[in-house]
Amino acid sequence: MSAFSPAFLPGLVHTPVTPFTRDRGIDLDLYERLIDFHIGNGADTLALAMHAGESVSLPDDERRRLLEFAIKHVNGRKPVMAHVSETGTGIAAALARHAEDAGATAIVATTPYYWTPPAAMVLEHFAAIGAAVTIPFFVYNAPEEMQGTKVTAELCRKLIERLPNFAGVVDLSLDWQFMIELMTDAPRLRPGFQLLSGTELLVSPAAIGASGLFAPLAAIAPKLVRKLYDLCRDQKLFEARKTQETIAGLRQALKPLGVAGLKAAMRAMSRDCGEPRPPLVPLDAAACQKLVATLDAIHALPEEPRGW
Amino acid sequence: MPSKFRGVMQSPVTPLKDDFSLDLPTFEKLLDFHVRTGATAISWPHHKSESLNLTIAERKRFAEAAVRVVNGRIPVTIHVSALAVEDTMALARHAQEIGADGILAITPYFWTPSLEAIEAYFMRLCRSIALPVLSYNSPSYLAGVEITGELMARLIERLPNFVGVKEASFNSEKFLEISRAALAMRDDFAMLTGVEYLLPSVPLGGVGSYSAAGSICPNLCAQLFDACTAGDWPRARELQAKVSWLWLLFRDQYPSSLKGGMVMMGRPVGPTRAPLPTATRERQAYIESELARLGILDTEPHGW
Repeated sequence: MSAFSPAFLPGLVHTPVTPFTRDRGIDLDLYERLIDFHIGNGADTLALAMHAGESVSLPDDERRRLLEFAIKHVNGRKPVMAHVSETGTGIAAALARHAEDAGATAIVATTPYYWTPPAAMVLEHFAAIGAAVTIPFFVYNAPEEMQGTKVTAELCRKLIERLPNFAGVVDLSLDWQFMIELMTDAPRLRPGFQLLSGTELLVSPAAIGASGLFAPLAAIAPKLVRKLYDLCRDQKLFEARKTQETIAGLRQALKPLGVAGLKAAMRAMSRDCGEPRPPLVPLDAAACQKLVATLDAIHALPEEPRGW
Repeated sequence: MPSKFRGVMQSPVTPLKDDFSLDLPTFEKLLDFHVRTGATAISWPHHKSESLNLTIAERKRFAEAAVRVVNGRIPVTIHVSALAVEDTMALARHAQEIGADGILAITPYFWTPSLEAIEAYFMRLCRSIALPVLSYNSPSYLAGVEITGELMARLIERLPNFVGVKEASFNSEKFLEISRAALAMRDDFAMLTGVEYLLPSVPLGGVGSYSAAGSICPNLCAQLFDACTAGDWPRARELQAKVSWLWLLFRDQYPSSLKGGMVMMGRPVGPTRAPLPTATRERQAYIESELARLGILDTEPHGW
């Protein structure tokens, strides 16, 4: 067993949307501006393109070119994690190799889409993706998005045995039982193993031992997200409660609206990145109005940056 | 004034004789054991106490015993959840008559009731008695049926005796949805969790938990609560890891495995009623080896 110690600590990870033009092309000028916004507003790391970035709506070739474009524009200012989730194991492994060649610092992948595979299939899928690269590999646990397919602590024990570059879990299960079992085991088997919260509900994971955060809401409220992250990193967990409750309110308002809601909220913050690609549909006028009213009622939002 | 329902509260298992009938003398010893070893309240009969395998008459009989034996040393709440809502209503009235300090009630079983039906249920239950009522949210065991933050707020607004919740989703989002709605309205609303999941809940405003392993390791439970309320997170992580491992051990065939473990701690409480199995000797030996590995046999009380 090699004593792989990941030198890479993702910390607070922003997950930018992908801006589209009216004719559904990628707006590269706006993407540059968006990347600069995230770098200037608290990101330790960028993860591209996550589900918030509509990864599944980008054809393979476009996804590769977008990653290359972003890494070139970031130009070493911050590490870039590449999202390589796919249904087919071979396709995902090829995306992973491309990401390493393009200069990504690490990769992250979910369980396979659609198949709702049993544990043994999930293990082989992840093992093949991880083995395709030498950079750190994080798996993404999102049972609600993946029809119940889970990453388990048992699966992680096996991945640690198989992959010297298996570096951690990004958790969107929000499940205390899983997180505690994982963090009891994995860091002992692999020093430096990391738990990252997959959403801005960080206080409980931070108590359990999480070291990082994937934050799509940083597009709306980067100051609030940074404050939550810093308090949790410093283990000021009681002090973090109020900030956590405010962000939980923002998340509860936006979550049912998906990427369309996230983009509508960005427009309300004067950072228009267009509408999502089909099959997602934009919010209608009434839903937009309701969202703006909800955002107005959140007391901390006036302190957040408007525009770029 | 902070809620009197706080800390690690113990819900005793139900001791049975070899013929599966209730074993009152052992129940009395067990209640005393929990009071002496630091329980902050007694609550009976939880699912762990095989509540749904007991007749309503049996539940009333042991509820009376619990109130009598504890005798005001710590609060006693009665878990009134039953398959038939009419039984729940009767158990709640009975709890009040025998002098219990409160009741605990889960969302109704089996029917996957709508939010409106859950609301009507708690309105009726709370208005039928003067005792404090703790609600019980357990979506993963009840096909997703749960109390939302909005419903919690409506109930708190209208019911002065609706004083807390056992939030047993073990999920950051669900706990926060309820805690931020409830605590904004009443800062002494008791946010409680199940199975000693204190480390993730106390920093969010949690004030305590019920307990799976308290009949095995009461010292560990008390130490975990103290470390969490003191904000000693490194120590709390270490203790939570140990307690959570015990939960994984006992969750399999709960509470049969727990009763098996109690044999190894010198506190035998008899078999488990069907359809639950009774822990075999092999299972008991495995549990004992795990308790030894975790240092429980050396650090926790043996015998009564």
